Amino acid sequence: MTQFIIRRTFYALISLFILSVTIFAIVRLTGDPVTMLAEPGARAEDLDRLRAEWGLDRSWPVQYLTFAKNVFTGDLGKSFNYQMPVSTLYFQRLPASLQLALAATFISFIIGIPAGLISAVKVNSAWDNAGKVVALFGLAVPGFWLGLVMILIFSVWLGWLPTSGQGGILHLIMPSVALGWYFAASLLRLTRSSMLEVMRSEYIKLARLKGLPGYVVIAVHAFKNALIPVLTLAGINLVVMINAGVIIEVIFAWPGIGRLLYEGIFQRDFPLVQGVVIQAGIMIVLINLTIDILYAYIDPRIRLAK
Amino acid sequence: MPGIKITRRTVLTSAAFGATVLSVPFVRGARAAGGVVPKGKMTLAWHTNIASRWLDPQQHDGTASPDNFLFAIHDGLIKNLRDNKYGHLALAEHFDFPADAKSATFRLRAGLKFHDGSPITMEDVKWSYENYRGSSAKVLHEKTKGVTIVDDRTIRFDFTEPFLDFPILMGTGNLCGAGWVVPAKYYQQVGKDGFLQKPIGAGPYKLVSQVPGSKLVLEAFEDYYRPVHIKHFEIIGVPEAATRLAMIEREEADILYLVEGQLIDRIKKNSKIMLAPVLSGSWWLEFPGFQDPKNPFNDKRVRQAVSLAVDRKAINEAESGGMGRVSGNWINNDVEDALDWPEFEFNVAKAKELMAQAGHPNGFKVDWLTVVPNYFSRGERVISQLKAIGIQTRLQTMERGVYLKKMEGGLKEWPGLQIIMNATRIGGSWASWYEGMFKCGGFQGQDMICVKDLDAKFDQYQKSFNREERKKLAEEIQRGILENHYFVPVFRHAFVNAIGPRIKAAKWQDVFPTITSGYAYPWEDIELKEAAAAQK
Amino acid sequence: MAFVTEQTRAALAGSAPILAGLRRRWLRLAAGLPVVPLAILIPFVLIAVFANVVAPYDPTEPIPGAKLFEPPFWADGANPAALLGTDFQGRDILSRLIYGARVSLIVGVMGTIVAGGVGTTLGIMAGYLGGWVDQVIMRITDAWLALPALVFAIFLATMVGPSMWNIIIILGAVYWTRYARVIRGEVLSLREREYVKLAEIAGASSARVILRHVLPNVLNSAMVLASLTIGVVIIAEASLSFLGVGVPPPEPAWGSMLADGRSMLMVGDWWLTVLPGLCIMMVVLATQLMGDWLRVRLDPQLRNL
Repeated sequence: MTQFIIRRTFYALISLFILSVTIFAIVRLTGDPVTMLAEPGARAEDLDRLRAEWGLDRSWPVQYLTFAKNVFTGDLGKSFNYQMPVSTLYFQRLPASLQLALAATFISFIIGIPAGLISAVKVNSAWDNAGKVVALFGLAVPGFWLGLVMILIFSVWLGWLPTSGQGGILHLIMPSVALGWYFAASLLRLTRSSMLEVMRSEYIKLARLKGLPGYVVIAVHAFKNALIPVLTLAGINLVVMINAGVIIEVIFAWPGIGRLLYEGIFQRDFPLVQGVVIQAGIMIVLINLTIDILYAYIDPRIRLAK
Repeated sequence: MPGIKITRRTVLTSAAFGATVLSVPFVRGARAAGGVVPKGKMTLAWHTNIASRWLDPQQHDGTASPDNFLFAIHDGLIKNLRDNKYGHLALAEHFDFPADAKSATFRLRAGLKFHDGSPITMEDVKWSYENYRGSSAKVLHEKTKGVTIVDDRTIRFDFTEPFLDFPILMGTGNLCGAGWVVPAKYYQQVGKDGFLQKPIGAGPYKLVSQVPGSKLVLEAFEDYYRPVHIKHFEIIGVPEAATRLAMIEREEADILYLVEGQLIDRIKKNSKIMLAPVLSGSWWLEFPGFQDPKNPFNDKRVRQAVSLAVDRKAINEAESGGMGRVSGNWINNDVEDALDWPEFEFNVAKAKELMAQAGHPNGFKVDWLTVVPNYFSRGERVISQLKAIGIQTRLQTMERGVYLKKMEGGLKEWPGLQIIMNATRIGGSWASWYEGMFKCGGFQGQDMICVKDLDAKFDQYQKSFNREERKKLAEEIQRGILENHYFVPVFRHAFVNAIGPRIKAAKWQDVFPTITSGYAYPWEDIELKEAAAAQK
Repeated sequence: MAFVTEQTRAALAGSAPILAGLRRRWLRLAAGLPVVPLAILIPFVLIAVFANVVAPYDPTEPIPGAKLFEPPFWADGANPAALLGTDFQGRDILSRLIYGARVSLIVGVMGTIVAGGVGTTLGIMAGYLGGWVDQVIMRITDAWLALPALVFAIFLATMVGPSMWNIIIILGAVYWTRYARVIRGEVLSLREREYVKLAEIAGASSARVILRHVLPNVLNSAMVLASLTIGVVIIAEASLSFLGVGVPPPEPAWGSMLADGRSMLMVGDWWLTVLPGLCIMMVVLATQLMGDWLRVRLDPQLRNL
């Protein structure tokens, strides 16, 4: 088991290394942050001064080593635009993103899980199809458009909800629906399939034989067991929502990490983009690692496989 | 000329009113300044995210974005305000710039304070100037022989040679921040990064709190030397245009920046919202590599034909709701020594004739037309207009960062036959436009545009300390570009903003009075309607 | 979904055996066909293929003399020549939607083929060859899976510049990773099967084993994944358009129509976005439902995916 954990951890580190090289290289291949700010009023020497200040005059390997070394000490570098440590910025924005992501997860649960349960219990019924269509709707409509349509209806026409920004619970409703709905479809599929699998298992059959009424069995036993993979997926979804809710945060002027990233991309704020992507990468890799180890713990056969 | 008048010896402009009132003892600033008590709350929906560096004049990046924020939080010795391009007396009550341009002397108003209550001293002014490291820092520092504190309200700058551009640099908020005063001790204590978290300035609004990048919460500074009318002022970054529009409709925002092309016409129908079409960037066509004799655009007749084929009025109608301006010169007339030039003719028949004379009766194919991102629709319009004279081309789109990189890369990034629809807005003087956009080897000229005789004249201009000669050269050079159609000016587009119903304004210029900017400053002058001011 | 009924089987029993076999297989597939998704997809595909025949106007050129017309065509101020109104350049919305079907479906299908092709190939290599090949491919897969898809796509788009084919390659490059992972898992279990082992013992080359025995067996999974990817790719294209790096104008992709017209929603010009939005929604919903159906039909192992 120890060997398994070591091997998996090693793999995770290699993945993070590849991730960091990839993001490091692609941000640099797409342009020069100094050119981005310099409108023609700026002079060549001003640009050079900025390049030097931002460390962009050094060679790529040197820049990468500095970046990698800093990441190991928990320092994600300093944003060009904000001139603040990226980690400070990240944690400043984290509460807003977390709030939105949790609310969106809740929305994805209340749409995805009931739809998944219904379609597993009533396979191929009208209910099944209706549930699927509702859950898939969030995936079938581009988020930016769904967001704008909601603003139009609920803010401009009906005047029920504020258009944008962070505030009370009312501010949270539209962005979390727009974000959460997208993830409902994946929850629907997973809930459905893990429910089907559990319901085919021996002990559920046994429970039925004991004469418990069907719905109770489903509700209590099946759901409890089907929940594990569903929660795993929800965890990964949560990380994605926290770090990459770019479009929804832009539409709703939500002061979260996604917008930080969005601006970083278009401003070529290298440290910011690298930092946020690495941070998200670490979270995802950690979750996957934990899951791998947990599953190996439960099922010893996995330890032997690569 | 509004602004600084220069006579044989010196001319002193003074803000007598402000100075007298402020010198009355025992009266606190806000009430002293015109008896106005700031009330109510105003919200500005800013059109991008808010970069922290814009809050620090010391790091001015030379673009027209920081000034929106500098004018709220900070103040300069002199600045651009209303119709004054750079000579409005702000912290200074006298500005003395002798005709020989070898020195400049400022005398500050009495009793000036920073937001933390500490007085503005001459050391602060000197330190701010000497440690300034933003745009144009090098030229300022190289030409400055010394900064002398004459007395506790007077400071003198001595130059190594006549420095005619000094007032422009010091006083143009969207060009340079050296004349903007920060508290030296505090700045050194917290460092440049710390300063961005909690900037302290001398402007009409002090920063209460911020979410870096997306929100600034400001409050009226009671000790400001001019009356500040609105107590609470929030700036929120809202990148999505449709969301900004919804905000102003719901009165969640009072002023919004940047209503884009097609929306303009529709908003006109909403009687509650006032549009503020501020004349902004200038747009023109350029032909990278036209100096090569093999390039069809090397022929003046072809360039002129292009100019004749562009229906500028139609473009202005469609792209700026008719609120831009079909201008003659590609250099905006709100900068020093920009040449006035009549509107260019629209005449397809004549254009065809010229094409035929140049040996292209059926036109020719151009590989790409590229337009400054993301203004793709105006590129599409030009393409369809050029079809009339047989010039066939396609629109090349790219993301903004890529475009800027290619522009910096020069001709090798623009292979084959290309047209670029470029645009800019630069503050200061015509020379910055020439240097940045046209000069061979310049920021965007690179090796794409090289006209030797004009560049030679420009060198002569820059070396000259003679005002008369400079003026003459400026005119000759601009005339040379326009008569030869090296650039084909298209129009000056409108940076269209909107004003919500809570703001007191008879016309939009009441809220956007500053001609050198697309932004709504001076902030302290904006007032709410009474009902709105009384709202909690 | 219901299989072929007993009556059908009985009816078929009288036919010639070979014909019956063929027909039975075909019918078995056809009987369970999801009616609704196909009823949506088939017309869209036909429209896309015959766009140049069906569309009343050139989608990139304004209707002469036209400006913004509001549908429906019988309303005041509308133009009967433009059934679904026009956009701000005076271009016919209906024609743009029709050609947009072509662009969007090409992007969706081709993007999926690129992603599926790359992912399946790499997945087979990783699973079959094992060793360091497996390590390299899977570590890259893991790393890229942890990269937010849209962020990755934006960067690639800014690097290569937007054009329809570049967008296809970009989205392929972003979405291949999920194929690689699933296919590799399948190949690992296939390698344990008798017939694969026998082929190896018999001295068949790796390439031969892969082509003969491995590829045909993973194709079903790839098909299922593909049907689920098409919608994701179409939506991703729209998101890239929103961010300004999608299929460039004047090419009419649904996603870019939606992105271009979005601000007009607030002032009531609903048709600019509601119509392309509905098209995207219907196609993506239909492909997703098709995917669900295929998953159950084609691939017993993925039934629980």
